[in-house]
Formats: sequence, C-alpha cells, structure tokens
Amino acid sequence: MTTGERPDDPRDDPRWELVRAAARTTVPTPPGLVARVLQSVQGLRGQTTSEPIEVAFDGGRLRVSGRVVVLIARRLGTELARELDGVHVSAVALEADGLQVLITVRYGVAAREAATLLRARLRDGLTDQLGAAAPPVHVHIVDVHPN
Amino acid sequence: MSDPAELVSRAVDGDPSAFDALVRLHTPQMYRVALRITGTAAEAEDVVQEAWLAAWRALGRFRHESAVSTWLYRVVTNAAFAQVRRRKPTVSLDAALSSGDTELLTPGVLADNRADPEGQFVRAEQVDAVLRAIAGLDVSQRVPLVLREFEGLGYEEIAEVLEVSVPALRSRLHRARVALLAKLRELR
Repeated sequence: MTTGERPDDPRDDPRWELVRAAARTTVPTPPGLVARVLQSVQGLRGQTTSEPIEVAFDGGRLRVSGRVVVLIARRLGTELARELDGVHVSAVALEADGLQVLITVRYGVAAREAATLLRARLRDGLTDQLGAAAPPVHVHIVDVHPN
Repeated sequence: MSDPAELVSRAVDGDPSAFDALVRLHTPQMYRVALRITGTAAEAEDVVQEAWLAAWRALGRFRHESAVSTWLYRVVTNAAFAQVRRRKPTVSLDAALSSGDTELLTPGVLADNRADPEGQFVRAEQVDAVLRAIAGLDVSQRVPLVLREFEGLGYEEIAEVLEVSVPALRSRLHRARVALLAKLRELR
C-alpha cells in the first residue's frame, strides 16, 4: 500500500506500521481528572466578583484581583510541586480564609511532610510576589495515586 | 444537550453548567493530545488544567469562526508547547531510547492485538518505543504529527489549529515523518 503523496513518503515504509499501531492504542483519561479540572475552573470562576488584594508597590498601591492571585498560586504551586517528587497540584481556590490548594500524592510519599513543605514554599513564593498581602495558604491532600 | 457550539454560547452568556459540560465532553481528547505531546502523565494533566483555565478566560473572544473542537485543539497544543518549553533540562529523550528496545522495532515482529499475554506485552513495548521516539522529535514537528497521525485531523483543520498555511503544514509534516522514521531505523 502506498500513500501516493510523495515517492519517498515515510508512511510507505514497513516500520510505519508501528506508528499506526501506536495510534490505535487507547489513552484512558486518568480517574478524577475531569473533577480536578472542574475544581480548578470553579476556583477561578469564584473570583470574578471578589475584592482585589492591595499590594504596596513603588510608593503606591497595586490592586491584584482574586483571579490573578489564583492563577499566580496555581502556576507557582505546580512548579514547586514538581520539585517534590510524587506531589501534584490538583486545584487552587481563594476563599475567605485564604488559598485552598488541593494536592494528590503518589503512594509511598510522606504526604504530611510534602504538604507542609509545599505550603511553606508556596507561602514564601507568594510573599515574594505579593508582599504582606499574600493570603494564608492551606494545603489539602485529596487523593493518593499508585504511580 | 451536548452540541459544543451551543454549550460555548451558553457559557459565554454566563451559564457555568454549560462550560462544565464542555469540560466533561472534551477532557479525554485534550488529555490524549497533551500526553502524546509531553510524553508524561503528570505534565499532560498540568497541560489539560492550564488549557481549560485558558479556555475559560478566552471564552468571550470565541467567535464561532472555527469548530469548538478545533479551538480546543489550539488551546491544548498551545499549553503543551508552553509546558515543553518551560521544561528544565533533564535526561535526554534520545538517551531514553535504550538499546534494549531495538529488537522490538524490527519490521515484521509487530505483535497482533489479539495475541497471547506475551504478545500483548511485546506490543505494548513497541508502542512505548514509538511514543518515546516521537517524544524525541522537536516539539514543532511533534505537534502536527500527533494531530495528524494520532488524532486523524485533516490538513486544513491542523493548519487552522497551528495557524499556518496548508502547504507549510504539509512540508512540516513530511519532515516530521522523515525524522520519526529515521529514529525508528536507528533502533534497529
């Protein structure tokens, strides 16, 4: 069988059947992924009407919306979690008593220590960016996954 | 009701359940693409999360000029591009193609899907080796290759996703296929 597009088309090589076989392989969606995405979206959606936080900045004040705080925390938290092998940030939401960060951990990881470390590093990172206005950080372990 | 265009319209009008329905409908497609571009489940999940947050923020700018699925392919591939480019240098992906895989990629030994457990194991190993070879391609080649060979999108739709011309896409895809075949040959 030839593809007929080019005389030297790689798809005419017998090895290309390996690519076709890989393409036929189904990719299961990880359990709970949809729920975690919905939590993240809800965490962002809930910030459209909340009061912005104010950050002292170059002699003036910078107003940062709750939505931006969530996005900063999510990006920072994701990067910090990646440095802690086996920890993954599932969702971030800003509520009245501070940032709620939901994480999943791999089975075998010292979950409490990992959560404490992530909370401290995230709090430090947010303080670097937002100063004293950085909200308190609460980390919750919501799931354990096998690998 | 699960017409994606209608769901987007309702979400733009402020119906949160419509956007949630879009998430439920399209997350498997988004994850599949993200996994095949990034090569790791953890990164793929981050990409999917980032992509949906980006989609939610961009909802108001969606003009229905392209299909919702095309728009979401664009959002997830952009998030995957960003993820791959943010990576800190780690182990070379080429190095991950260990010599131990070579016999598995000999033409003619592709195991049948209905084979015995050993055959299925060999087939899974073959598929993994191909996916690692794809992960070793430059991301600019990997993305169109995944959309064409794995997602089965047409040239026009991929060109729209990547915002390039069809001739430019065809050329890039050909180079990607040549590069992938060269990697598969190296494994012999």
